[in-house]
Amino acid sequence: MDGFGVTAAFWGLSALAVGSALGIMLARSLLHAVLWLILAFAGLAGLFVTLSADFVAVAQVLVYAGAVGVLVVFAIMLTPNSQTGNSETRMVGPGLFVASVVSGIMVYIATQTDWSTAARGDFPATALEIGTALTNRYLLPFEVASVLLIAAMVGAIVLVRAARDEPERRELAGEGEGEVNTAEAAGREVVAAGSHGGH
Amino acid sequence: MNPDYSLLIPEYILAVWAALVVAVDVMMPKLRRDVPAYLAALGALAAGIASVLYIDVNKGFEAIPGVTIMHVDDYTTYMRVLLCGIAVFILLMSAQFVRMRLSHAGEYSAIVLVATLGGMLMVEGTELITSWIALELLSFCFYTLVSFARRELRSNEAGLKYMLLGAFSTALFLYGLSLIYGVTGTTTYDGIAAALSNRGEDLTLALVVGFVFIIAGLGFKVAAVPFHMYTPDAYQGAPLPITAMLSTTSKAAAFALFFRLFTTAFLPAHEEWKWMIALIAAVTMMWGNLVALQQTNLRRLFAYSSIGQVGFMLIAVAAATQDAGSSLLFHMAGYAVTNLAAFTIIVVFFNREGSDEIADLAGLAERQPFLALAMVTALFSLAGMPLFAGFFTKFMLFVSGWDAGLEWLSGVAVVASLISLYYYLMVIRQMYVIAPRVPGRFRTPALLWGVIAVLVVGVFFLGIWPAPLLDAADTAAAFLFRA
Repeated sequence: MDGFGVTAAFWGLSALAVGSALGIMLARSLLHAVLWLILAFAGLAGLFVTLSADFVAVAQVLVYAGAVGVLVVFAIMLTPNSQTGNSETRMVGPGLFVASVVSGIMVYIATQTDWSTAARGDFPATALEIGTALTNRYLLPFEVASVLLIAAMVGAIVLVRAARDEPERRELAGEGEGEVNTAEAAGREVVAAGSHGGH
Repeated sequence: MNPDYSLLIPEYILAVWAALVVAVDVMMPKLRRDVPAYLAALGALAAGIASVLYIDVNKGFEAIPGVTIMHVDDYTTYMRVLLCGIAVFILLMSAQFVRMRLSHAGEYSAIVLVATLGGMLMVEGTELITSWIALELLSFCFYTLVSFARRELRSNEAGLKYMLLGAFSTALFLYGLSLIYGVTGTTTYDGIAAALSNRGEDLTLALVVGFVFIIAGLGFKVAAVPFHMYTPDAYQGAPLPITAMLSTTSKAAAFALFFRLFTTAFLPAHEEWKWMIALIAAVTMMWGNLVALQQTNLRRLFAYSSIGQVGFMLIAVAAATQDAGSSLLFHMAGYAVTNLAAFTIIVVFFNREGSDEIADLAGLAERQPFLALAMVTALFSLAGMPLFAGFFTKFMLFVSGWDAGLEWLSGVAVVASLISLYYYLMVIRQMYVIAPRVPGRFRTPALLWGVIAVLVVGVFFLGIWPAPLLDAADTAAAFLFRA
């Protein structure tokens, strides 16, 4: 896949991806940032196509530009009380400096390094290759990823859902001293009330 | 040929047991709320016993012929047993705590088991993707566990900070891996080592930057300065037993991965990363111990003290010799036993008094002499006093650094170690010299009394007769350098 069209598409899509990434950073409203993010995902998907990774490109569009983007928009829309603006910060200067130094180094590396490159023949259907790798070479890491997803899901449920079991502090507190625990329990309630007020 | 799935039996036990604990908890709502923790402790024990069966097994898990993604050898076995042992003690000290202060008791214990599983996979991984996903498994479990006390703002804050910085460090780590892959064209440790030794004399900038990113990513996981910012908050906000787990499981597993990756895959490029790690080690040990001097909260004190300990352990990674490996493994065991003892004591005190301020320890020697004495043992061991575990393990570590040509680093370590003595002594002064604020003795629950006694005996055992464990650590480290 060489030729003028591909090269032009590569640079165009790169500009799109980097430009919308900048948009994410510069947008003042969280919602605008998410829209930029979706555009950046789409640009990346296009880049994957030019790099002959067709399956990854499709997955990128379906999962990231589609599902993840919509999910984030929903999350923002459904939490009306949260602040969605981008607050002021004094770190703009240092941030810009660090970012430009790092990106300068990365560009230098990308152009100067003698990369280990794969032979560029006709690519077979990449879905087949990825499927084989996942059920063969990467079977075990793939299974570990499933354990990870379950653990993350359980964790998310634990942190969000109302508990069916409650701590038994009061009950146990009755066994011995009273004063310290009561005072502390009162403190805890104040903290809990504070957390409700904060959001 | 199929890969040898029987190599991973301890991991299966942990995964199945974790599911079982949750199932039991769901099926039996009337169950007392400390039971899941005891049940899970049994599972960790079973996995530990299963791990012992792999002593002197030396076999790679070949996903496809020629691609070894995991390796079970004595190094793996040593760390597996250590991690399972830590999990048993963490769960034992959690039981009362969870009953009194946390909801979702079943899920809590299950996630502790899964975190241990992640740690074990990190130890045995010999392929970048496998190691990385194992690291993520451990990290995700910790993100949940740190914010488990969800009604306490401090726990929420700790969880959020830990997760955001964790995601950032993961991105750095992955970027580093991609650079290494780009230069070497492979993700297996063996393949990377071969590619690095064939590359000739030229210093590739991509490689160096890759190392920088990987060291930064792992530096976050082990809490090395300057990637330690989240540590004090996470330690203070997390439920207390999880703080203990952060300072033991998380560090042991991350260091095991760190050491295996750098001494097998990256060893041919030793000269290019040695100075980076040595520098970070020096800064970490000085910074951790100096900032610890100003702490008034016991957990923050232990956070900075653990940062200091990380500095000591990094000496071994920088040295990257077989001796350094064995002293790292040895120190890790001594450190884990000591820290678990200290945290079990803090848990008992916290369950009772609801406080973790150093000032509230005042007069502990009068109120509960056993706890105070055990705490002195733990603190002396951490400070590295003779007769206690910490002395010999640190000594070995410093000597291995010296032998590997890092004399200045060992010198800095001795100074940092002396500084640490001061703040450990301050805690002891609080317990023994200052009069108690609240009069009256209290009792330690029998089970935790036993746990503390076992750990204190362990501290003395390692300090007085270190030979058996040192031999084991030696054999284990030898496997990394057999080539």
